[in-house]
Amino acid sequence: MNPAIETINLSRRYGRMIALDQLNLRVERGSIYGFIGPNGAGKTTTLRLLAGLLEPSSGEIRLSGQRLVPGSGQRLVGYMPDFFGVYDDLRVWEYLDFFARCYGIPSDRRSRTVDELLSLVDLSSKRTAYVQTLSRGMQQRLCLAHALVHNPPVLLLDEPASGLDPRARVELRELLRTLREMDKTVVLSSHILSELAEICTEIGIIESGKMVISGPVDEVRRQLQGGAQLRIRVLHSVEQAEIVLRGLVGTASETLPHVRNVRLAPTEERTLIIELDEADETLQTRLLHYLIGQGLAISEFRAQAENLEELFLRLTAGE
Amino acid sequence: MRAWHVQLNPIIVKEVRTRMRGMRPYLILTGFLVLLALTGLGIYQLMLQQARFGGTVLSAQVGQALFRGLSFVELLLIIMLAPALTSATISSEREQLTYDMLMATPLRPGQLLWGKLLAALSYLFLLIFASLPVFSIVLVFGGVEPRALVKTVALLLVTTVTFGAIGLFCSSLFRRTARATTVAYLLVVLLIGIPLLIGAVWGQFSNPPGQPPPPMLYYLNPLSALFAVTTIEPGVIEGGFDPGMMPFIAFDFSTGGLPFLHLLSSGVIFYGPAGVVVIPIYRATLIGYSLMTVLLCWMSAHLVLPHRRWQLRWTDLGFALLLIGLVVIAYLTYGWWYLVPPPLVMGPAG
Repeated sequence: MNPAIETINLSRRYGRMIALDQLNLRVERGSIYGFIGPNGAGKTTTLRLLAGLLEPSSGEIRLSGQRLVPGSGQRLVGYMPDFFGVYDDLRVWEYLDFFARCYGIPSDRRSRTVDELLSLVDLSSKRTAYVQTLSRGMQQRLCLAHALVHNPPVLLLDEPASGLDPRARVELRELLRTLREMDKTVVLSSHILSELAEICTEIGIIESGKMVISGPVDEVRRQLQGGAQLRIRVLHSVEQAEIVLRGLVGTASETLPHVRNVRLAPTEERTLIIELDEADETLQTRLLHYLIGQGLAISEFRAQAENLEELFLRLTAGE
Repeated sequence: MRAWHVQLNPIIVKEVRTRMRGMRPYLILTGFLVLLALTGLGIYQLMLQQARFGGTVLSAQVGQALFRGLSFVELLLIIMLAPALTSATISSEREQLTYDMLMATPLRPGQLLWGKLLAALSYLFLLIFASLPVFSIVLVFGGVEPRALVKTVALLLVTTVTFGAIGLFCSSLFRRTARATTVAYLLVVLLIGIPLLIGAVWGQFSNPPGQPPPPMLYYLNPLSALFAVTTIEPGVIEGGFDPGMMPFIAFDFSTGGLPFLHLLSSGVIFYGPAGVVVIPIYRATLIGYSLMTVLLCWMSAHLVLPHRRWQLRWTDLGFALLLIGLVVIAYLTYGWWYLVPPPLVMGPAG
């Protein structure tokens, strides 16, 4: 089956500046793909290219296997820009009705579509309110509804959570989950990883117009981490535990994992963070046995998941 | 089989919904009509005053003066309002950040353009038609031919479209509404002011000195065109002209008693050996404005595109055919609109 979105060596230049360089992106149907990168990395350019608002300098875009030519993709994608505008002097239903007309939805279906979308984004109670009276979060949801007015299989959301308060972010996440259940493919961008980590099934990290890494969230995390981190808490004598563990650093053992580094957790007492070369659970079990054998009173022993934020910073710091 | 259905341009639907919302459109309409009514009252008082001071003022002359004064004020208002209403159309979409959202829909840039233009013009047309009852006061006094009325309304409509197209062009060209509006008004001032300025000094630089400026100079000036429309050529009798047969102009009363209008007579009124000749320059204005409107809309249709702005498209064929058609019409009607004034005689006889 063809992926929902596929780009092949997609490049875009603005004069001499290369905004996007040979991007190869593959987004499977029904997935929520998080596009992450610092400001100016090329996220918006990519989404505008996918929405047909920009033309590639080279390379090609395929939506559901069909090559995108200018003016052909509008019915296949719904696009919500990062800085979206709303017509302040329109009422909420008129706003959606206007976009429904732009997509040529016949009058007998238009009213039903507007009502369904308002219900989906939980704005039915604001049907006759003026758009300018809505809160930022409500406007964001209305803008999302406008992108859904023609029921596209693919949704492109550029920085959908920017400027939202925590409650509005939670509501947006719920809405994205609902969209996934509706079998939509969603591509969203953000420079804040925590926004995406919980909701995305796949992520891609882009920097300076190049894709650094792309794939399912867990896989990306595994690839980036390269090894594992353990978090060990002892009942007493953290110094002794540190000595024992430091003794393992650099030693080549068949039965124990290779310890790369040992450090005290900065914010917690009697807690050590141990960096290992590999994430083998058998070796980690043996390490626990070994430590108990050394007389350490271990109250907590677990794998420490490095959050995406740290991974992202680590990955992009060297660039 | 797919059901066939006709759908109104969404831009027109939206603009019509929002344009008449709130107090502003009604305030503009009220202000417009009040200003016209006050003009009418002012002209009537002026006529009364002239009669009081011993002048002979016929009822028909009052009607003509009213008609002329109201037409000029209406034209001035249209000239001021048309660019203002259209110079924000496209640039405001860019400023409001809704342009991308529109371009991401199947709506074609051409639809956006003509939808915006038509919506803005329909409001201006509303102003023009709402003012017709004020004009009806002229009928009480008489003295105005229905043909002059039709010509005046036609000129007003054509001027509205052209000046609207100037605003639309600026709005497509510039990203900022403030800049688009400024440049639109600058073009309007150039179009009206420059010919008048050149005309004012023409005689001093002509050879021999004192020659009147050619009518061609005023072809694109709507005020001169309106002056030509509202000036009826005097009756010509053998061996001269008969002042009694002049419904609109007399030499000491050349602009129907209205102040400032004599400034617009250059390029329109010529004193030939057979008498006074009024050059109907509005004919050339109509043709010039039609060409200008098509050209401005053509360029706007390219400027509004999100990318590959100057690549040739099928719509270019339509614009090109329209333009060629107009040029052919202009060529075939050359004798109708290109009129050479008679040789100069030194001042009017009598």
